[in-house]
Order: sequence, then structure tokens, then C-alpha cells
Amino acid sequence: MTTITTGLNMGPPIAPPGTPVAVDYSVAPEQVSLWQDAWRRFRRNKLSLAGMVVFSLVILMAIVSIFWTPYSLFSQGLGDITDPLSLKHPFGLDASGRDVLSFIMKGAQVAIVVGVLTAVITSMVGIAAGLLAGFFRGWVDAVVSGITYIGYGIPNLLIAFLILFITNRPSIFNVIIALSVTSWMDMARLVRGQTLALREREFVEAARATGTKNFAIMVRHVLPNALGPIIVQATFLIPAAILFEAFLSFLGFGLPSPDPSWGAMVSAGLQDRFLTYHTMIVPSLALVITLMAVNFIGDGLRDALDPRLKR
Amino acid sequence: MSRGTALYGARRLLLVLGTAFIVSSVTFLLVHSLAGTPFTCEKNPAGCAHENLVYGLNDPLLVQYRTFLWNLFHGNLGYSYVNQGVQVMPLLIREAGASLTLGLFAIVVTIVVGLLVGVTAAVKQNTWVDYSLSSFVVFGYSLPSFVLATFLIIITAILLPNWANSIGWGAPEQIPIPAIALGLPYAAVVARLVRASMLDVIRQDYVRTAWAKGLSSRVVIVRHALRNALIPVITIGGPLVTAIITGSVVIETIFGVPGLGKEFVNSILNRDYGIVVGLYTFYALLVGLANLGVDLLYPVLDPRIRYS
Repeated sequence: MTTITTGLNMGPPIAPPGTPVAVDYSVAPEQVSLWQDAWRRFRRNKLSLAGMVVFSLVILMAIVSIFWTPYSLFSQGLGDITDPLSLKHPFGLDASGRDVLSFIMKGAQVAIVVGVLTAVITSMVGIAAGLLAGFFRGWVDAVVSGITYIGYGIPNLLIAFLILFITNRPSIFNVIIALSVTSWMDMARLVRGQTLALREREFVEAARATGTKNFAIMVRHVLPNALGPIIVQATFLIPAAILFEAFLSFLGFGLPSPDPSWGAMVSAGLQDRFLTYHTMIVPSLALVITLMAVNFIGDGLRDALDPRLKR
Repeated sequence: MSRGTALYGARRLLLVLGTAFIVSSVTFLLVHSLAGTPFTCEKNPAGCAHENLVYGLNDPLLVQYRTFLWNLFHGNLGYSYVNQGVQVMPLLIREAGASLTLGLFAIVVTIVVGLLVGVTAAVKQNTWVDYSLSSFVVFGYSLPSFVLATFLIIITAILLPNWANSIGWGAPEQIPIPAIALGLPYAAVVARLVRASMLDVIRQDYVRTAWAKGLSSRVVIVRHALRNALIPVITIGGPLVTAIITGSVVIETIFGVPGLGKEFVNSILNRDYGIVVGLYTFYALLVGLANLGVDLLYPVLDPRIRYS
């Protein structure tokens, strides 16, 4: 059973007069904090746990690839693309005779960096904008809501491509900026809505009555209470960013050549389709498995942290 | 159409035009404030000077902007810089035809598959049918459209070797594969929504009444439940249309469809400033109008919704 922790021991619940008392007061109800409760509910979702394991493996692969890959990304001509998959090259070779496994590992690094950094930047900008707009309302809200309102009328793709077109130098940094500029608005809307609701609550009034500064109210009282939906939203930002980066790279707008991206690898594999299929299937599966894993984590977190969405 | 709806539509139309204006202005000013001109002047200085003159690129930025606005208000989106002499507006209108065909077929795929999967999963809730369909849905929205497209190409190559040669665009039998590749990922989104909304509806009293009257299950599910379950689903109509329009960028590139999406990628790769600015304006108008159209459909489909 869920119990709400108040930090104060209020003693046993008071029964309405006349009800027979059948409560065993010798055992105190188990005290569970919000986060412990959420973890318990998350743990119950086996798919989310599996997603977490898979995503951890991808992160591990990305970290390992910083220091070591089976073959150098620059060593070409290790064999022929049509060579059968072997223990030496479990995922085979690409059109230039390079080891596909090494590229998949390095590609994991790109995907993780893009996904996580975009989620972090987007969340920070979106949370700040949403908190300010929801808390101060007035002209701050008018500006933030106006930008998001117009931004919703323009497909993200156009904004991202315009930024890439202007910077004209594909780099991981530019891709992350292009993604962040388009995706902070969802977060800002979410946080603004939460803040608008929370700022009217009694605990904010109490904080104000004790002379707490606006900034402290926002950061210490409003933000922690909105954290559940924020974490869920931020989790879903990671697969969205990975997907968008793969999409850009597939079209040839992604990172320059030595930086392998799974999207670019699928695109290259598509060119090899008259010779072999593994150069297309392997990076596709890497993408799909990673995206599914993070989506399952997000679903699990939503069920665990967002009590309004009880199933 | 009530007076309120007309007023709402007019206000939204103004907003769409305003957004398109902002998009085209920002694109124009950003693109044209880049250093240098799109023409490489090292090999052919005389020709380059001539081209700069023809396209007015020697003028100050604000003069160029004034000319651009003047043309814009006369329905002229400018000229291509790479294929010289080609007007952007007729080019885009011609290409919009191919995109429209692809988009409409994709939307049919999205709606048919989304409804079938969503309704089936809801009716068979908590059975293996529901579980397998629901996992399939998560798989669906984790599947990038270009990955799906490449897999469809391989699968047709293996299963239907004769048909695989006809992957491309132009003949009617070439439409289904790109349309499935474009529409199927969004079918997952629709299925998820339909399932949730059907589950809400089939527990309501009037549905129980319909069962109690002894109506056939098809009549209860389709006529009584699905009709009302669709109302919350309609709200993703706007985002769906936007997604289909932007999603066609990658699908058109893969299948060589001569539509707006392919032009979008090519114009940016070729750095064709003229088409980029024109296409951005066109897209902003298209997405805005499509969303407006979907929003104006709500009160027709659900009389309880009224704009005031």
C-alpha cells in the first residue's frame, strides 16, 4: 500500500466515531518515500528492467569504444564485404573492408553523446523557461508561450535543417544545438503547466509567508514537486534525439566521415544491397534495439512516477 | 459552419499567414546574411559577377529583402540558383502533386492499420493478442522510417524478385511500398491511442446496454464504441499531417519520388538558396493550412466541440 510520508509521525489515523476499531497499533505502517515507491513500481515492469539492462550495455559499449575497438576505424581492406561473418569480424566488413563491429561501437558513442547531451541541454532550457513563465506569468509567460505557439506551427525538421544549413559545418555540436533548439518547447510547456498548478498550492504560500525568495521557491519547492513528469519527458527526449541524429546522418547532414553514425551506416548499407545485406541490417538493429530499450525505460518511468496515469 | 467557427477559422488563417511570413523572412535574412555568394567566383569571375547582378546579390541586404517581399506578395517565390531560370513556385506546385499522392496513401495506411490494431488490442485486452500487438506497437514507434524502408526493400527483393525491380516512382504499382514505409510508424501511434480510448469507451453504460440488447459484436464495437472512441484520436490529426509531410523527406529520397521532400534535401545539399527560401515558405503554409483544416473538421465530427 502507498503511504504518504509527511516527515511527521501523526500517529494512527483517527476513525470516525462509531466505527469498530480493528487496527493493530503495535505495528507502525511501513514508511515509503515517493522515490522508493517509484522504484518498486518500476522494478515490477520487466520490460523496463530489460530496457535498462540493454541501455546500460550500450553505454558500456560507448565507453569502451573511447579506449578500444577491435580494429582501428581507419584500417581499410581487412577483407571483402561479401566475406561471410566470422569470429574475427562478427558483424562482417563494410564496402571499404572495414570492421563493422568497431563502427557499431563507435556509433554507440555518438548516439549516447547526442541523445544524453540533447536531453540535458533541452531539459535545462525548457525547465528554466517553463519555471519562469509559469511562476511569474505576465510578460515572461507571454514571450515563452508566444515562441512555443509559433514554434509548434513550424516542423522541427525545418528549424534543425536551417541551423545546419547556416552553420554549414557538420559536427556533433551543431547537431546537438539543432536538436535542442527545436525540442526545448515541449519541456517548457510541460514545466509551465506544472508550475502554474503548483504555485497556487498551500506549501508555496507557506514558503512565501516565511519570506522565502522567489528563486528559492521555484528551485526548492516548485521544481522538486514537478520532477516526476520532467524525468519522464527527459527520458523520451533521448530516443527522439538519437532517432533525429540518425535521420540527419542518413540524409547526409550528420557528422563528417571519421565519426560513424548508425544512421549514416544504414544509408551506406542501402548502397551495398546488391552485394550483401549485413551492412544494412546490423546498424538498423543497433538503432532499433537501443531506441526500444529507452522507450521501454520511459514507459516504465511514466507508470512509476506519474500517478495520474494509473492503469 | 457556425459564426464562431468561421471567426475561429479566420483568426487561425491569419496566424498561419503570419507564421509563414515569419518563417520566410527569417530564412531569407539568415541565408542571405551568410558570407559570400552561392556562386564560386574563382574559375569564372566575369560570369560570377553577371550572376550576382542578375540575382541582385550585390544589393544591400535590406534592398534584397524588399525585392523578396515584393515578389512574395505577388505569389512569386523567387528563382532557383542552380538550375538557372527555373521559377520556384511552379516547380514546387508540380512536385507537391507527387508528395500529395504519397502522403494520401500513407495516411490511408496509418489509419487502416492503426484502427485495426488498436481496436483488436482493446477488444482482446489482457490476452496474448493484446500483449503481442502492444509490443509490436512499441517496436513500431522505435523503428525509424528509413530503417523500415530499407527493410521493406530487402523483403521485396527476396520475396518478390520481379517486383523489386520496380522500386521507384511513376507507375501505380510502385506506390504501396513507399506509402507503407511512410505510414506504418505513425500507425503505431494511432493504434496506441485507439486502444486506450477504446478501453475507456467499452466500459461505459451505453455499450453495456448495446450488448444487453443482443446486438451483434460488430455493431456494438464499430457503431457504438468505435465512433465515440475516435473523438480523442482526432486530436492527433494535426501532428499526424505534419509528421507525414516531414517524414516524406526521407522516404522520397530513398525511393526517388520527385516530390517536395526530395527537393528539400537536394536544395540544401546543392546550397540552392532560392529554392531553400521558397520551400520553407511553402512548407510553413502547407503545414499551417493542413493543421487548420484538421482543426476545422473537429466540430463537424463531434458536434459537442464548438469554437467561440
